[in-house]
Amino acid sequence: MMTDRTSLRQKFLKKWVKGLQMYSSPKKLTTVMERKRFIRLSADVALASARGGMTRWSRALFSSALKDSQDKHFDRKIPGRAKGKERKLHESITRKITSRKVLKGIREGARKKGKTPSNRLPARTIAKRLVKKRTQLLRKIVPGGESMDNVSLITETLDYIISLRAQIDVMRSLVCLSGHLDA
Amino acid sequence: MEPMSLTGNRPDEPPFESLMFNEEIQRLIALPPAPVGNASSFTAILELGPTQAMELLHWPEPSESSNPYVNSVDDGAVLFAPTSSANTGYGANCLAFSAGENGSSPGASSASSPKVKKEIVPYSASDWSTWTHPAVSDTAPESKVPGSTKRKVRDQLDKGSEKKKKNESSQDAEALPYVHVRARRGQATDSHSLAERARREKINARMKLLQELVPGCNMITGTALVLDEIINHVQSLQRQVELLSMKLAAVNPQIDFNLDSIFTPENASLSDGNFPVPMTWSDIQIGGSMEIYQQQGHFPSFQHSVWVKEEGSSFVMPEASHITSISSANGVPLDSRQLKMEM
Repeated sequence: MMTDRTSLRQKFLKKWVKGLQMYSSPKKLTTVMERKRFIRLSADVALASARGGMTRWSRALFSSALKDSQDKHFDRKIPGRAKGKERKLHESITRKITSRKVLKGIREGARKKGKTPSNRLPARTIAKRLVKKRTQLLRKIVPGGESMDNVSLITETLDYIISLRAQIDVMRSLVCLSGHLDA
Repeated sequence: MEPMSLTGNRPDEPPFESLMFNEEIQRLIALPPAPVGNASSFTAILELGPTQAMELLHWPEPSESSNPYVNSVDDGAVLFAPTSSANTGYGANCLAFSAGENGSSPGASSASSPKVKKEIVPYSASDWSTWTHPAVSDTAPESKVPGSTKRKVRDQLDKGSEKKKKNESSQDAEALPYVHVRARRGQATDSHSLAERARREKINARMKLLQELVPGCNMITGTALVLDEIINHVQSLQRQVELLSMKLAAVNPQIDFNLDSIFTPENASLSDGNFPVPMTWSDIQIGGSMEIYQQQGHFPSFQHSVWVKEEGSSFVMPEASHITSISSANGVPLDSRQLKMEM
């Protein structure tokens, strides 16, 4: 329904503008790249928080954007309370990631590398391998995807795509609006 | 800009809605920051109502007893609200999947009808109470009766009841119904393969949703290629975000200027129709310019002239068709006047 999409856009816009307005110290944002970075980070944070922490990708995106913004010494981008909670979640996620990676490494080490003969593999195996590669890639793309199983990965991707579209809609119309000023 | 239309299913949107969207921007900025309750706003998003091609995903939501189904967006997007605990478990997944499979959308039935050899019980609020009991009571009489079909059902029941008991502790207010699965002819009936099969079908259902969401995936058969398309789509969306943020950064010399730039061209296009006439805020009268908003019929023509004049900026014309609107249910934003005064 239309109102779902528009309400998401509205929420995102509201939070984003709030975040942009909260920007206090103008000292560091002189180059275009820095401004772009700030805009993107604030948009990501707004998008993730518009989703409300119900989805894993939003939490992961939030924490990664938070970490990113802290590196650049932006002034207190996110209030402290949320920071603490997200940090905890982020730590738990990274723990899951590292443990999963360790397990994967063990499994692959146990399997004999290169044991498959050079005969033609059945098509099913090839297809499975392709799918596996693709899902790995998808995991890297979707924030927080490393620590999800396939089912939730797909669901999260769905949600992520929708939210990205909403974000792009809002940003695009903002660009248009500011574009008017140039004429 | 990018030729790909994100909102390609709605190409004929009236451009005046983008204007209302701009007004909406101002209105939103004006509003005092309202605390966003995550749960409550989410349930506000959840709506009943099937659309053209969608199945429904659902996660049990204790506050939504009357609207169990998550709504789907018109072009096939689906929003869902999983419960905060990620450990809803297999029961909930089955539930979501079964609800999706048997979704009330007639359009989706063509997609799901081949699968409806399964006996899938629709999930509805009224059934919550009934489900808790059959799990317990059915196992007793069933155990006495041999017979292949009954055994399969009993397997499923057992599995469901176990999971239900396990999950009941974690979700106090929610009852999780489970899936009745009748095994097809010639297929294995032990619990493992049933579980695997349910899981596979769940994944397939969601892949179908993704296929409908991502443009150009409908014709593609095969998971690997579909995943390819999905990956490309997500990457292009992310790149667009980067690009747009770069554009926004390039347009405005500072961040705070960003917000100012929204308002003045808005007032110009709204009040005059002669674009662009930069107006200062002192020119804006509260009462006088209200009439502008009441002339809703003029908006399309305003917008058209606006867009047409902006031939120079390359992204404008494609934007006009892509800009999706804030719903007019929000009404005429008279508050933009208040906004000006506040700012």
